[in-house]
Amino acid sequence: MTNNDSKREHGVKRVNLSKEAKRLKLERDAAKTENYKALTSQLFTSRDDHQLGLSEFNETTKILLINPEFYTMWNYRREVLIELRKSIEVEQYIDMINRDLKLLMDLLKRYPKCYWIWNHRRWCLFELVELNKVNWEYEFGVVSKLLELDARNYHGWQYRRFVVQNIEQDSLKKKKESQSETLILLNINANEFNYTTTKIKKNISNFSAWHNRSKLIPKVFKYFSEVSDIPEPLQELYKTVFQSPHLILVHDLELIKTGMYMDSDDTSVWLYLYWLLTEEFFIKDLTKEVYLSILKEQLSIIEELNELEKDDHKDHWDHCWCLKSIVFVKVLIYKQSNEDALSDDIKAHLKDLIKIDPLRKAKYLDQLEGKVSII
Amino acid sequence: MEVTSDTDVFPFVREKHINFIIEQDSHRSFEYWLTEHLRLNGLYWGITALVTMDTLDSLPKEEVMDFVIKCWDSKSGGFGAFPKHDGHLLSTLSALQILRIYDDELNILGNRRAQLISFIKNLQLKDGSFQGDRFGEVDTRFVYVSLSALSILGELTPEIVNPAVEFIMKCQNFDGGFGMVPGAESHAAQVFTCLGALAVADSLHLLENDTKLSNWLSERQVLPTGGLNGRPEKLPDVCYSWWVLSSLSILKKTHWVDLSKLENFVLSCQDLINGGISDRPDNQTDIYHTCFGITGLSLINHEKYNFKPVDPIYCMPSEVTKHFKKWKN
Repeated sequence: MTNNDSKREHGVKRVNLSKEAKRLKLERDAAKTENYKALTSQLFTSRDDHQLGLSEFNETTKILLINPEFYTMWNYRREVLIELRKSIEVEQYIDMINRDLKLLMDLLKRYPKCYWIWNHRRWCLFELVELNKVNWEYEFGVVSKLLELDARNYHGWQYRRFVVQNIEQDSLKKKKESQSETLILLNINANEFNYTTTKIKKNISNFSAWHNRSKLIPKVFKYFSEVSDIPEPLQELYKTVFQSPHLILVHDLELIKTGMYMDSDDTSVWLYLYWLLTEEFFIKDLTKEVYLSILKEQLSIIEELNELEKDDHKDHWDHCWCLKSIVFVKVLIYKQSNEDALSDDIKAHLKDLIKIDPLRKAKYLDQLEGKVSII
Repeated sequence: MEVTSDTDVFPFVREKHINFIIEQDSHRSFEYWLTEHLRLNGLYWGITALVTMDTLDSLPKEEVMDFVIKCWDSKSGGFGAFPKHDGHLLSTLSALQILRIYDDELNILGNRRAQLISFIKNLQLKDGSFQGDRFGEVDTRFVYVSLSALSILGELTPEIVNPAVEFIMKCQNFDGGFGMVPGAESHAAQVFTCLGALAVADSLHLLENDTKLSNWLSERQVLPTGGLNGRPEKLPDVCYSWWVLSSLSILKKTHWVDLSKLENFVLSCQDLINGGISDRPDNQTDIYHTCFGITGLSLINHEKYNFKPVDPIYCMPSEVTKHFKKWKN
């Protein structure tokens, strides 16, 4: 039931063909359909006959170009490749896999959400890993290009993390004895961190980038704190961001502030703010006073923004996300001061939220009645 | 019979949807042949929509069951999506769901049953995750599928469940949601698979504070349509009427979205002429969105439409799932 792939109709405009138009389409497609059916049945027959040669390989190419969702044909193709590997020269086999990677790249441009294509790409790469012929840097280029085309592609981001993991392993395997493991990992992950910054600056709504950033921060910090000498190119990043969790927090709060002002309706920015203000990694070393002062500063920034937004509203209403965030930060402040989270002003805010965010009215009512915690 | 919604936006065109579903198999367009790899899933979506509308008899039971059995892949021990296609976890769950809707005892499986169980169990990896087939794709979808399938078969064991649950918990993110593997971004469909897996495994208590997740889920509802999206800053889509609402239902918080607005959104995505439901208004309909539109409506208000209640954990009629031997920790 959870086959969430691209073959289904997502985002395709409805056309109601007349009976006649349907008949004409059937007629027009008849040759294509016959060809496809014949190819399918021929491939199943040769598979039943355990035919695992070059011509079967080429036939699977034909059918997968028409229908890359035909997972059984990808399986057959891999069976053929595994068999061929036993009989052909290694160089020839490597060449075949590399050509498959090219084919897959073309397919991914046309079907960027097709699971089976991504899956076969991974399989091909691991074949090359076994033969010590993989080029992860090239893969890195591939995925960067794909994320240029669609900056939120769920598969693309996942693939990027997969490639990075493999670059890490590969670099550690190849490293010279004198090189530090941590430094290698630091370089790779700092680069990824910078990539999220670039993506975010390009488009503040890119939640995929914010998400990845949240995963990278603790890692990069750990590597920074473990290396003995920070190389020159990374010194700037260290000094301005990664010296301490506190500094990272301050740095990213500043980034978020820009985001809030650019697009206060953007949910990614607010979600990330909530993470910054509650994550153990940032707050565990802060004194209560410092933490409280950060919270209060954030509160006043959001309140100020809210005032600006109110001026823009015809009835002078609070801005929905500002008010939600005011509630969020206030509750954090009350928790720090051991005060009741459900104070009169929070109650008043929740009542306002019922008015300005009616979709979630019942949630605010649950909160007002103390049935659920607010954060 | 047409049911009109409170706000008189669009009527629910039940008969047309039934027709749309039973006609699925009579189209012989080029596109139809290209979807064989989804046929068993498609059949499950169709059957689920029909049984939810309380008209399971609209499709011939014997033929359906025969077809499912023809999809059995004796080489792998799982079900493929179409006769001769390779066994895969996704089609295996669809097969079991369909068969179980018709037959509590699953007698039709016969001696395939043992092979089926080992097919599923052997796909579990050391870290508790599952691969979809022998070619190694790992995804929280496959954890859900395996736990659900083994639960339908009454074959869950602590050796399977414990590591699977541990893997699921590694996939939770700072926003409360879940992704496809550890490190991956939260996505509403993956949230359903993870919550569903935890629910099947009687492990929902591991979500110590589910407010964050419930909040994230309720924020999926967007204006002006009232439809639900799958991730922040994305367009709404009817299928999330299932993925998000079932998740909220598991957390007992369906009221955290505006159900009547959501209902109108689903209704507005119907093809009023030919039946079927699409992802967004005026888009091409398909069996997948038709199923999740209808099961979504059932979660919203099954009485109003004379629907059967759907179990949010299994996406099957509650009257079927109530007989499942529930896993207890």
